[in-house]
Amino acid sequence: MSEVVIPNVCEEAVFGNIYMTNSKAIYRYIYYKCGDEDKANDVAQESFLKLWENCKKVASDKAKAFLYRVANNLFLNDVKSKKIALKYAKQSENVDNESPEYVLEEKEYKDKLERALARLTEAERTAFLMNRIDGKKYKEIAEMLDISVKAVEKRIHKALQKLRETIDGI
Amino acid sequence: MKDNFLAKWLNDELESSELQELQKTPEFESYNKIISTLDKLEAPAFDEKAAFASFKSNYLATPQIKEEKETKVIKMNVWKPILRIAAVVVLAVGFYTYFNTLDTSVATDLAQMSEITLPDNSEVIVNAGSEISFNKNSWNENREVNLKGEAFFKVAKGQKFDVVTTDGIVSVLGTQFNVNNREGLFQVTCYEGLVSVAHKGQVTKLPAGTAFTVLNGEVVSKESPTTQVPSWTINESSFKSMPLGIVIAELERQHNVVIETQNLDLNKNFTGNFSNNDVNLALKSISIPLNLIFDIQDKKVILYAENNK
Repeated sequence: MSEVVIPNVCEEAVFGNIYMTNSKAIYRYIYYKCGDEDKANDVAQESFLKLWENCKKVASDKAKAFLYRVANNLFLNDVKSKKIALKYAKQSENVDNESPEYVLEEKEYKDKLERALARLTEAERTAFLMNRIDGKKYKEIAEMLDISVKAVEKRIHKALQKLRETIDGI
Repeated sequence: MKDNFLAKWLNDELESSELQELQKTPEFESYNKIISTLDKLEAPAFDEKAAFASFKSNYLATPQIKEEKETKVIKMNVWKPILRIAAVVVLAVGFYTYFNTLDTSVATDLAQMSEITLPDNSEVIVNAGSEISFNKNSWNENREVNLKGEAFFKVAKGQKFDVVTTDGIVSVLGTQFNVNNREGLFQVTCYEGLVSVAHKGQVTKLPAGTAFTVLNGEVVSKESPTTQVPSWTINESSFKSMPLGIVIAELERQHNVVIETQNLDLNKNFTGNFSNNDVNLALKSISIPLNLIFDIQDKKVILYAENNK
């Protein structure tokens, strides 16, 4: 009675569910590291393939941690990184009725921000964007990256500090 | 300011005094702009459904991948038929084991006798109105025969098992012995070899030609059997100084009749035999030596003392 039944990852429904809930985050995690969409896609798919191959060995409640670990390992094999290209969320594009000058200004600022992001360390950028873009809590990020919450805070603090310094041209 | 105060600020963890302090710094506006700009931005789109579809077609549906990469990729839709087969196998195995682990049980009716062979080739003759059960499957671990009533055991050479009754346990090793456990009576008679009887914590060894008898809870000494096998196995019931009540109960069982007694002392001892084939002869065997009269009325027999009628 005290035994908790952990769903088997080898079952298609369970695996599919894990895929649906985690693939975007894995994809972004790699994207924030390198700014390469194709690379992020490949790493995400390969990570899930590894999970599928090891479905018997990985309990479903450990699958998430397994995926991040594998994605991280797969990524290390490749180093060349590109600038992160972020785009405006659809909402703000439609809702705001802005002057051309303002739009241009904003575009320039965004480029600046993206260049500043590229100058962050991979660890700082990843933690920062996971929080700012994906809206992940510090605790979640800590679990995914297998580091302490304090380390996450430090990376995020540093990231914002460096971004400002770069943007303000210090 | 606090360690990592920017991270605390983003997480709304600053106290109002700390927040005010931060807001007063010249950098605050810049921080705010970075954050509010990022709030409007998003990462490149990722379509989970499309990605999963391509994942399935790339890695899961093509068996070649499995061979090339020597990985254990199993086609997902392979599972359904396998699961179906597995379910059938599980059910079949379940039924098989269920029925196999059930005890084998033999119960004899009144006026009936049955002969069975145990898994170790020992023979058992079960007397009328008795029940015997054992488990074929776990015989090797658990050599136990449960007995209610009376049975004669001819144990195969070198085999050992226990006969479990409500009144005691009889352990045997390559012997022939009779166990009779009826209302008020527990009797073990050894005809060959050696048996040990555990009764109320007392273990008694019975060599060939001896008997262990408990009458109404008391151990009584009885004479040794004179025959090679219990008489009932050759269709005769034999008694030595046995209370009449027990004798009558046996007659009822052997002939499937109900015997009503009138003015009889059922504790009076009886020594003698009666036939298990002929009810008339059997009744005479009891009534004549004890000076009794019997009336047969269909399946009912009335037995009473001669001088009382």
